[in-house]
Amino acid sequence: MSQQIKEDLSQFIRELRSAKGSARIDLLGRFGLLIPALASSAVIVLILTFLWYESALIFASPEGGMGIIVNPTWNPNRDLYGIAIFIAGSFMCTILAIGIAVPLGMAGALFLSEFCPHRLRGPIRMVIEMMAAIPSIVYGLWAYLVVTPWIGSVLAPAFGVESNGLSLLAGGIILAIMLLPTIVTVSDDALQSVPRTLREASLALGATSTETARKVVMGAAMPGIGAAVVLSLGRAVGETMAVLMVTGNALQIPFSLFDPTYVMTSIITNQLGYAFVFPLWRSALFAVALVLLLMSISFTIMAKLFIRWGMKTRGLR
Amino acid sequence: MSSQTRQLEQDQVFKEEIPPPEDGRLALIIRYLKMQARTKRTLSDFLFKILLAICILVIVAPFFMVLVQVLSVGIPEVFGSGPGQGLEFFGTFPGPGLEGGIRNAIVGTILLMVVACMIGIPLSVCGAVYITEYAKPGTVTSAIEFAADVMAGIPSIVFGAFGFAFFVDFLHIGMGLIAGGFTLAFMMIPTVLRTTQEALKQVPMALREASLALGATKWTTTWNITIRAAIPGIITGILLAVGRVMGETAPLIFTAGNTLGVPTSVTGGGSWVASLPYTVWSYITDPREYLQAKAHGAALVLLLMVLAVDIIANIILRKLTRRVV
Repeated sequence: MSQQIKEDLSQFIRELRSAKGSARIDLLGRFGLLIPALASSAVIVLILTFLWYESALIFASPEGGMGIIVNPTWNPNRDLYGIAIFIAGSFMCTILAIGIAVPLGMAGALFLSEFCPHRLRGPIRMVIEMMAAIPSIVYGLWAYLVVTPWIGSVLAPAFGVESNGLSLLAGGIILAIMLLPTIVTVSDDALQSVPRTLREASLALGATSTETARKVVMGAAMPGIGAAVVLSLGRAVGETMAVLMVTGNALQIPFSLFDPTYVMTSIITNQLGYAFVFPLWRSALFAVALVLLLMSISFTIMAKLFIRWGMKTRGLR
Repeated sequence: MSSQTRQLEQDQVFKEEIPPPEDGRLALIIRYLKMQARTKRTLSDFLFKILLAICILVIVAPFFMVLVQVLSVGIPEVFGSGPGQGLEFFGTFPGPGLEGGIRNAIVGTILLMVVACMIGIPLSVCGAVYITEYAKPGTVTSAIEFAADVMAGIPSIVFGAFGFAFFVDFLHIGMGLIAGGFTLAFMMIPTVLRTTQEALKQVPMALREASLALGATKWTTTWNITIRAAIPGIITGILLAVGRVMGETAPLIFTAGNTLGVPTSVTGGGSWVASLPYTVWSYITDPREYLQAKAHGAALVLLLMVLAVDIIANIILRKLTRRVV
């Protein structure tokens, strides 16, 4: 490997010496473009190194160690930095959001791809794409002023629970709304790419159009839909502002839908501003960020695997 | 299941008893419904379609609910004529009690976008040019593509924490325009890189070959022929990235700071810069009542800016695809 790089480099220098005028610019340009190409991908390495460098302190210290990931007590005043409570909060919020958004989004994508009247398809897709563009702070504003009071005054009394609305449920609902555009557009693209012949074969065998859609088209589009779900998982875990505003941020593991909760992104946003002068506290917050980063990387890899599986089922690669 | 069959039998009885009306829209609808309810299979087919249509309505409903909420409170702020409303809302800086306009936030968001574009666009466009035009498909290309895909999935608060640790603390730049702009630039890289790459791939090989056959170097061909042909796609990618980054709050909380005026210097305390999303957040969580309306106004301005950028990007993309096809 290093031998080859050395050879390449010496050949490059030899060529550069012999070249003149525009040929020299060409050679320099080739080398010059390599730098931004490497720099743009080095950012991810830089982020990983820095989060590790910042959080190394808590993982190495006797108060912390690797145990903080399963320790549920967070109390910086007594040097207790368990982050399990936030991981659990994020996990429950995400599961709830995925539970709402995936069935709904798949149904929506199925309608859009298979049954939607041609004239309505364009506008509906446009609205859904615009939903994806709305900043999370605007969703947060709406959820904070409309959804949480509604949960507090209508939904919670209906179930006989006392709640001010700032709850796990509110976080799940607003997250689901923010995930739906991704799920619908990616699943719709996957459904659209299913070959026409499959649908025609199923219809010719006497299946109704919904039976075709449900059993044949959905089955063929499964890898694409799987990628959509995994991608949205990553977004759900990493969503910050809207969730921060509606989940109530209480240091407890929620036992019902109407209990407030604390997610990983919220604890960083809320406490990094005060914590940066206390080395251990700050280091624990960066450990949370590192966990978030590793989760998002693994979701991306999973989504890529789903896409590769999809390619294989079509015999494309 | 048996109830459905019973329903069906009743339908048939119903059809026999009452003769179908001769014409009219209602009759048509009734006939259509009866046709759908002919057998159990067609009925379930029909009901399933109705269920899916309801799902799509539920999916798009929040968009309009958000719009109604922001517009109903925000419009008087943005287009009204009271103190701190209308033109004053855009044109004046907030006073000590945050009354007045949000000029600081609008100017700040634009400044941050300019800095982010100045750093993010050259990096990602050059990177994309390198991997599509120069590099042989192999480990380098797929490594850069993979890095971009991973970066696209990183939570925004992680970018914020990284920007704080790296720019503010490690490099001692301090909070402000530079740290915030760099953090946003890093967030732009994956989108711009991937869309530029797609746009370059769409340029027909014949164009490049024609230029090379005329004796142009690879460098001249790339910058004068290939990039020019791909420019609408590249601009679309840049606009999409700008639209996405403009609404981000979390990366700015620890990197950009906040101010009631405009930044007066490039580094140090004077470079703290306000932004629209941060303003919305700090106003909405403020206990003072009159700030709620201002938060809606700022959210409306932000929404209009983001949607405008997004719609322009879509128009360019549509024009482009029409031209190619």
